Amino acid sequence: CAQPRLRPQNAAAHWSGRLALQVHDAQAEDQSFSAAFELQGSESEGQLILLTPFGAALAELLWSPAGAQLRQGGELRESPSLEALVQDTIGTPLPLGALFAWLAGEQAAAPGWRADLSQLAEGRLRAERTDPLPRATLRLVLDR
Amino acid sequence: DGLQSLEAFMQNAQAGKAEFTQTVTSPAKEGQAARSKTSSGEFSFQRPGRFKFDYRKPFAQQIVADGKTLWMYDADLNQVTQRAQAKVLDATPAAILASAASVQALRADFDLKAAPDQDGLQWVQATPKAKEGQLQSVRVGFAGNQLAAIDMLDSFGQRSLMRFTNVQTSASLPADTFKFVAPKGADVLAQ
Repeated sequence: CAQPRLRPQNAAAHWSGRLALQVHDAQAEDQSFSAAFELQGSESEGQLILLTPFGAALAELLWSPAGAQLRQGGELRESPSLEALVQDTIGTPLPLGALFAWLAGEQAAAPGWRADLSQLAEGRLRAERTDPLPRATLRLVLDR
Repeated sequence: DGLQSLEAFMQNAQAGKAEFTQTVTSPAKEGQAARSKTSSGEFSFQRPGRFKFDYRKPFAQQIVADGKTLWMYDADLNQVTQRAQAKVLDATPAAILASAASVQALRADFDLKAAPDQDGLQWVQATPKAKEGQLQSVRVGFAGNQLAAIDMLDSFGQRSLMRFTNVQTSASLPADTFKFVAPKGADVLAQ
């Protein structure tokens, strides 16, 4: 039989769990976003699906060196910039590249962000953005 | 057939409780097997407009609709999000089915028709009228007149099968069943 295409493990990393994002806006009320998620691939090519607790997908982000796509509410949007689509999906930019590294337990620099990987063994990740304002807190709980 | 079971269920079951098991399967991507996740807990409902999903395994999560507000509490994240219930139309067919006042109310949002029996259950096919919604198709399964399963396919190909066991229907449930109180110390946020 054909030899299955062996892909190095981390190239097709897959993480699933729940995420909560809080944007602490001094003037307005705190803005929050939370959802279950499936994240796979790498910074250069991958997929992020956001789901309701009942398993219905809210949005799907796909990206590759050729560009990024956001599918949401029956609508498909394409953009050369993944960051722009992430901002449209959850309301604030997220350093996806650094996120893959953090999830793999590596401290990666992301301008304005600081990640706490101390509880990764328990499946928890927390990252704070202090620059640019408004301050934001991202928390992830991984399914085990 | 399924449609008759749905009508009987909607008339007889004003309120009820059941245990549920939910299996969510994401479509297989090239080179990867389909992934599925199972969770379970207790479900209760009272017409119109109130329901509660108390997920226990593999993690604790509560979703409570008190008739006005939809509360979602995730114990691991220690966070409560609240939304106006009206804004979240297709939260889940189980919720709509349970909290809709009647079959007519359900027909406002879904085209309903009987589907062939399968796995020993009588099924109804419910197609959402709102085209841009998240759902592609929903089938509701009955064992006689008792709710037994809801099989939902969303527009991304995600399939969520919820099976109900130990279903007890009644005229009503205690008032505080659907009263949500945010645990001390949890962040409560509007979404």
